[in-house]
Formats: sequence, structure tokens, C-alpha cells
Amino acid sequence: MNLLESVGAGARDMASHKGRAVITIVGIVLGTASVVAVLSLMRGGEKQTEDFFDEMGGLRELRITNQHSHDIFQTAAERASERLTYRDAQAIRRECPSVLTVDPEITEFLAVAYGEKTFQMKVLGTNRDYPHADNMPVAEGRFITDKDCENYANVVMMGPTYKEDLFGEEEAIGKTITIEGIPFEVVGIMQKKEFYFEGSGGSDRNVLEWFNRSHYIPITTMVRRFTVNDRLDGLEISATTIEAVPALTEEANRVLLRRHGVEDFNVESKSDQIRQRNEQEAFFNIIFWAVAFVSLFVGGVVIANIMLASITERIREIGVRKAIGASSRDVFIQFLVEALVVTASGGALGILLGLGMVALTDKVLNMPTAVTPGILLIAFGCSVAVGVIFGLFPAIRAARLDPVEALRYQ
Amino acid sequence: MLIRTEDLTKTYDLGEVEVRALRGVTFGIEEGEYVAIMGPSGSGKSTLMHILGCLDTPSTGRYFLNGTEVSDLHGRALARVRNKEIGFVFQNFNLLPRVDLVANVALPLVYLGGMNRSDRRKQAEGALDSVGLGHRLKHRPNELSGGERQRASIARALVNEPSILLADEPTGNLDQKTGREIMAILDELSGAGKTVIIVTHDSNVASHARRTVEIEDGAIAREGRA
Ligand SMILES: Nc1ncnc2c1ncn2[C@@H]1O[C@H](COP(=O)(O)OP(=O)(O)OP(=O)(O)O)[C@@H](O)[C@H]1O
Ligand SMILES: [Mg+2]
Repeated sequence: MNLLESVGAGARDMASHKGRAVITIVGIVLGTASVVAVLSLMRGGEKQTEDFFDEMGGLRELRITNQHSHDIFQTAAERASERLTYRDAQAIRRECPSVLTVDPEITEFLAVAYGEKTFQMKVLGTNRDYPHADNMPVAEGRFITDKDCENYANVVMMGPTYKEDLFGEEEAIGKTITIEGIPFEVVGIMQKKEFYFEGSGGSDRNVLEWFNRSHYIPITTMVRRFTVNDRLDGLEISATTIEAVPALTEEANRVLLRRHGVEDFNVESKSDQIRQRNEQEAFFNIIFWAVAFVSLFVGGVVIANIMLASITERIREIGVRKAIGASSRDVFIQFLVEALVVTASGGALGILLGLGMVALTDKVLNMPTAVTPGILLIAFGCSVAVGVIFGLFPAIRAARLDPVEALRYQ
Repeated sequence: MLIRTEDLTKTYDLGEVEVRALRGVTFGIEEGEYVAIMGPSGSGKSTLMHILGCLDTPSTGRYFLNGTEVSDLHGRALARVRNKEIGFVFQNFNLLPRVDLVANVALPLVYLGGMNRSDRRKQAEGALDSVGLGHRLKHRPNELSGGERQRASIARALVNEPSILLADEPTGNLDQKTGREIMAILDELSGAGKTVIIVTHDSNVASHARRTVEIEDGAIAREGRA
């Protein structure tokens, strides 16, 4: 008996035991639906994290930070190191073949004034790569250029919230403001940056608002006018392609190690950060997994029991089949395929239910979800696996029945 | 010789006691013979029948079917012999209740393999037609009388064109008139050259056969020819 016929026979058998099939299927349907829901929620969460990081500057980014020694006493090399400096940033730009952008940052809170208004405001010293690296399009005017940096130009680019604070509706470009009393010409305004996390805790807080509350000046001007040295608060670099990220990590490490003489820095990719974040989220998913596992397991146990019961009911049938030429293997396959037909149809229904659940979670709970073909495949695979695992024992039992005993059975 | 047995025994070990259902059966059956196996209840008729039908294997002794020794075979090989060489007719019909007659009769062809579904159904319909059930193809067993069910089970036994037809009390669950109809079919098959072996208590039934083998207490007690 070939497999296709077994499937057909299994389907017909199921159709002729509708009550039994429904009971058997419930667990599998719920289990498969849970798997779809779990994976979609997980994927949705992951995707949102990815989108968030993408909005923050994409996956080609590497963040370089100062790594502070855990030892109480610093080594001589550590003491000698100047930490991350603007010169490091320039060296990386010169020497790393895989680098696309280099975005050094020095942040100060300074007195900024326009007309009658004076505020203590965040001022970021940076260079032409900043909007590019941090995915910050310019709304009006222009950003800082290489020329601005070379000339220590007194030019300022404004975040949209600060622009409103100082100018309101008034045109700002071309006007002059003062920073710590020094006049700066306004050359551009950034586009507003926003990102809202969906779901329970997310509410309607713009988690990227801090980007909008900043002024931007050439980093060289910052160093010359407002700071005592060129130590950086942050350094973000990006690779030419996502594939080049490992190479750039390597190159940046090499350049910095040579310049510092000690590994007092840390080069971390955005994808590392995403992975860490997803690992944190994985914990919450354990609960979902437990639900899916329990439903599938219960569904499987129900199937095994119903099949065992149906074997008792069908002992004679098995005897007859063997008498007319079925081998133990034929009987084994028949019963296993019947289990598979039940669980696979349960799996198919479960996927439909799961999609419904996902749509509902998305709408009602406003949680991020994402359904991919892979998720559906995994869910279906789970239902089939349950069929194989829990159909195995009943199938073996059926196959082992002695035909004479089976025919004698009343 | 189609069937030859040498000193077949069958012992059931029930722990405390041993039941010796067969105590050494040696006999032979030629192709085309029409044999009735008779004997009191519990004498071992069904046990012998199951061994001859390759449903069971003897505890000791040898069994040759069509010249090959089948007492050595197990599992799939034995299933294969049952499928191709043996047609069973049971006292209680043993049709599958949830499928129609065509599907019931086509079942041995499914296990034979190598035929597509429509060919199998065609052949099953032919077999049903030959036992006078051409008008009942789509019926399920519970929609039929006992006689019709037994005719369907004969059709199933014949569909693979086996060399032997084995019938264990084929009229045991039927009234006399229906029983005679069934016997008429078996007579006809025998007349057409099929080897037919029936197990029966009923001497009227046995009288249809041309040879009777009487079993008592697990061994052949008497033989007779009509
Ligand atoms: N599986 C078994 N375990 C133990 N004893 C068995 C088994 N099968 C048959 N027997 C015994 O073997 C003996 C022969 O049984 P068998 O069924 O062959 O008799 P029979 O001649 O067909 O009887 P009947 O005419 O009542 O059908 C009986 O004593 C029976 O109890
Ligand atoms: Mg008997």
C-alpha cells in the first residue's frame, strides 16, 4: 500500500469518525495556534527592535566606547592612554578601508541665547557624518561640512524642538545666536525624529525626542572654544556594507589598540546590541512557549489515547487486514498515517486560528506581531511531529497484534 | 501436491498448563480438491485452518504450500503468501463496517500492490458480480443480509485469485436456506477447479465436499471420500 493511498484511507477513516476526530484535533489546533501566536509575537518584538535600531542609524553601525578598567590600580599604559579622542576618529577615517562614516561626538551643556531668551542647552560637537550615521535627515538648510570643521567655523545646526524653543515660528536660518556669548550662524534645522513602542508600556512617548533637543556645531569649534581637550563622549562609525561590519570591527580595534597601547575601548556592533535585547525578551517568551508546549503535549496525549482506544475498537479490523495480506509494516504505516492526517489537519486549522489570534493581539492589545512563512512552516511541523511522536506507540501496538488473536477477539 | 503437512503440532503455553491444540497432523491436499474438515468443538480445526492459511505458524512440524516450505516464513513473507495464495471466508464475515462492498472486496488488491485505484475497483466489482452482488456495490455491510455479507466475503477471498479458498464455518451464522446458497457458490467454485477447504460441524455442509478429514483431540481420526 503506497503512502498516498494510506493518506487517503486515513482521511476517509477520520471522516467516518467525526466525533472522535474533533476531540482529537482540539488539542493540536490549540497547540499549533499557540505556536503561531508565540512565534509571531516574538518575531514582531524582534522586528520592532530592529526597526528601532534601524531608525537609530542602521545595522552597519559600530559604537566605540571607553572601556574602564575594573582594577583599582591602573597600569602605566592605561594611565598614559588619552582615551578616545577626535584624533582617534580621524585615524579611523584615514586607516580603515571598510569605514564609510565616522561620527565623533562631544556633548556639552552651554548657555545659548537668541534675543531676550537664554537657555542652558545641549550642544553636540560633531562632523558631516552625524546625520548620515544617526539617520537624521536635514529638514532645512544644511548640516556641518568638512569645510566648517577645517575652518573652525562658528555655525550651528538645530534640533527641531530647540529651534521652536528659541525661534517659535520665526525663520531661523541665516540668523545669529550666541553660545556662551560667542556668535554662531544658524545654517540648518534637523528633521523631527520619532519612534513609539507599541503595546502596554509603550504609550505615546517619543523615545527619540532627545535627538530633537540638541544643537550641532563643528567638533573642531567645540574643542577650540568650549573644551579643554578633544576627548570624545561617543564615537560611532559605520561600515560600507552590513557584510563589512566584522572587518571594520577588526580594523577599528587594530587602529585603536596601536594608538592607545592598551585595550581601554570597546567596539560593539548594533547587531550585538539587538541580540542582547532579544535575549532579554526571550525570557518573556518562555511563558508563551510553555503554553504552546503544554497544548501540543496534551493534544498528543489525547491522540495517543484515542488511537489506543480505537485500536481496541478495531482489533478485528486489524485481524482482517492481516488475514487478507497486510504485513505488520502495512498496519503500522496505516495507523501512523492516520495519526498524521489527524494532526496535520489539526495543524492546518491551528494555523488559521493562530493567524486569527495574531490579528486580534495586533488590534486589541496593540502588540507588535509579524507572521512569516517560516513561522507557519514551523507550526505545521510541530503538529506533524506530535502526530509522529504520539502516533508511534499506538501504531506499534496495532502492528504487533497477532492476527489469530485479533480475529478471535469479540 | 498443493498442500503437504508433516507432523504439525501447535501448543499454547498458558503458564500452568499447556494446551496441545494440534498433536501431529500429517496430510496432503491436491490442487482442485474439495475438502471438509470436521470434528467436535475444541478439537483443533480452526487452529489447523489458521496454520494452513498462514495466519499462524506451527510449534513443530513442516508445512509445504505449492512446493515451498512456509513453516519457516514470518512477518512480511508470510503476509505475502496470505495475500497471494489464500482466500479466507469467516463464519462472521469480518467485513469492514465503515466502507462499501467494493472497498471491502478491493482491500486484498491494495496490499497486493501495483494496481491503481480504479483498476482495483473494477476488479472488485467483477468479483462481486460473480457472486451475484452486482447491484449492491455501494452498500455498506450493515445494509445487507447475512447471506449477502457472506457472498461479499467470498468475493473478497477470490479477488486476488488465490490458489486456496479456506472457509471456517461459512454457514455457521446463516439460516439453512441461505447456507445452501453459500454452499452452492462454493460448489460452483470447486467445479471451476478452485481448491476449497471448509471447516464445519454440519454433516450436510460436509457432504458437499468430496473428501472429509475428521479431527479429534488435535489429530486426524478418520478420513473419507465421497
Ligand atoms: N490462543 C490460544 N491460547 C490457548 N489455547 C488456545 C488458543 N487458541 C486455541 N486454543 C485451544 O486449542 C484448542 C483447539 O482450538 P480450536 O479453536 O482450533 O478448536 P475448533 O476445533 O476450531 O473448535 P470450534 O469448533 O469450537 O471452533 C482448544 O482447546 C482451544 O481452547
Ligand atoms: Mg473453530
